Amino acid sequence: MMHEVAPQPPKVGPATITVSLADSAGKPIAGARVKLEGNMSHPGMNPVFGAAREIGDGRYQASIEFTMGGDWVMLVRVDLPDGQKFEREFEVKGVQAG
Amino acid sequence: MSKLSSNSDAGSANFDLLRTPILGRILGWRHSRTLLQVPLFLLSVVMVLHGLFGPALAPKNLATTLSWVHFRGALVLVMLVAGNFFCLACPFMLVRQAARRFFRPRRNWPRILRNKWLSLGLLVLTLFAYELFDLWSSPWWTAWLIIAYFLGALLVDGVFKHASFCKYVCPIGQFNFVASTISPLEVKVRDQEVCLECRTKDCIRGRRDSPRSLNVIQRGCELALFQPLKIGNMDCTFCLDCVHACPHDNVGIMSRLSAGELMTDPPRSGVGYFSRRKDLAALATVFTFGALLNAFGMVSPVYALQRWLAGVLHLQREAPVLGLIFAFFLVVEPVLLFGLAAGLSKKWGGAKEAIIPLSIRHSYGLVPLGFAVWLSHYAFHFLTGIFTFIPIFQSALASIGWPILGEPHWGLAGMPKSAVYPLELGFLGLGLLGSLLVSYRLTEEGSAQRPGLAFAPWAGLCALLWIAAMWLMSQPMEMRGSFLSG
Repeated sequence: MMHEVAPQPPKVGPATITVSLADSAGKPIAGARVKLEGNMSHPGMNPVFGAAREIGDGRYQASIEFTMGGDWVMLVRVDLPDGQKFEREFEVKGVQAG
Repeated sequence: MSKLSSNSDAGSANFDLLRTPILGRILGWRHSRTLLQVPLFLLSVVMVLHGLFGPALAPKNLATTLSWVHFRGALVLVMLVAGNFFCLACPFMLVRQAARRFFRPRRNWPRILRNKWLSLGLLVLTLFAYELFDLWSSPWWTAWLIIAYFLGALLVDGVFKHASFCKYVCPIGQFNFVASTISPLEVKVRDQEVCLECRTKDCIRGRRDSPRSLNVIQRGCELALFQPLKIGNMDCTFCLDCVHACPHDNVGIMSRLSAGELMTDPPRSGVGYFSRRKDLAALATVFTFGALLNAFGMVSPVYALQRWLAGVLHLQREAPVLGLIFAFFLVVEPVLLFGLAAGLSKKWGGAKEAIIPLSIRHSYGLVPLGFAVWLSHYAFHFLTGIFTFIPIFQSALASIGWPILGEPHWGLAGMPKSAVYPLELGFLGLGLLGSLLVSYRLTEEGSAQRPGLAFAPWAGLCALLWIAAMWLMSQPMEMRGSFLSG
């Protein structure tokens, strides 16, 4: 699974996260359901959520809002068309405040 | 009579928590402490297990969430409205008490360590480790910190008699002792006249099953606080041993003026004079300036400062940079500010005390403001994240194949930040007011020829720290673990 975050460097406010899914042969996976959840590294903060829409070529795009500066951890929950489910996470470090 | 009458409020018509219908009966029960400790002990076990074996992401883990959001927030809020009830319910003491059924400590705590210097060092070390290792973001390290506390309490109180760990070692305990000086409740005698007639002094000696027996059936105060001469909450763990030991039912949990104990300097049982305790003054200073430093660690300017220091000094590692920041904010800044305020107070007000004794006496005046900063900071996390433990419990139970609480509701959080911000400002305002009042009373008690002018520099210092706190709380929060990577 690959991902991109825009804008770069990430800032507090709206952001677009694009996730690319491919099978073990590298073939893009279409028809999956992808949900994102963003958490700060500190407990007790409001998590942010986003449902991704498919934009083709195995790519899924979601809008989320970074509500605070700092390090974020994104959880990606994927439901594949064949019923399989998996979860991955990646970090978005140093989201800039203001 | 003259000595015992120093605890002057006793015997008045103060509110007494132990005289209330339900809570009073529960707290007055001999096993009330155990009743409170057992749930916290079980919760600690759950936190340790989840911290070691549960999700590595801090917001999904009970160890980090309950430690850094709920425990700290509830602690300062309970201190504000009641007293040191967290020391009362301390789970570490439950384990040490159980262990003492098998191992009787034989040694007295070393005389050279009968002060707050060791525990002060440990408190600073804890604050330093919190920043350096980003403890808030590590369930694993948080679990080990809890384990270390249990082991530390067991080891110290397994070797040394009385409550050596609480009085001389525990960093949380020292924080609680200072914070509880602003609490509205205090464990103290109801009627001094009764103490005058008392011949057994069980509140300090404890009670044995017979005069010649070594078998203690009820402990007296293990922190050497003799009730008739005890003044204030410093060093009091609210363990209620004195309440249960008193054969005359003459010890209560009484109301009092919050922070009133900071305004005067009488001799205090088990503590002595505040003005002669450099270690206590240093603890109060670290408490106040550490509150600002701890909050500073959560806003973006700290990262700019760290990067600037690292660049200027060509440092690649965080520890020395953080060490410099700690040294500046906890040592250099207080020394300069206290020195300046004391110097001006002497010059303008004609105080006869030397600068160091004057600074020591006034270090306690800043405690209300320091407490307000801790309160604003921790109440923010607590109130904005108060429900975050619910989905974690749901998830934890589901992960062990017992999904009785249903699907985790990860969106549960707490009050909106915009609603908590006015509360933070209110706490800081109250803290400033408290510090101004205490500082004024301390000035009045001193040797200044012109108390009004002598007070002005201390008022200026309170105002300066309040402005710093207001600025910190108005900054957008930023939680970053890797400042050198940008």
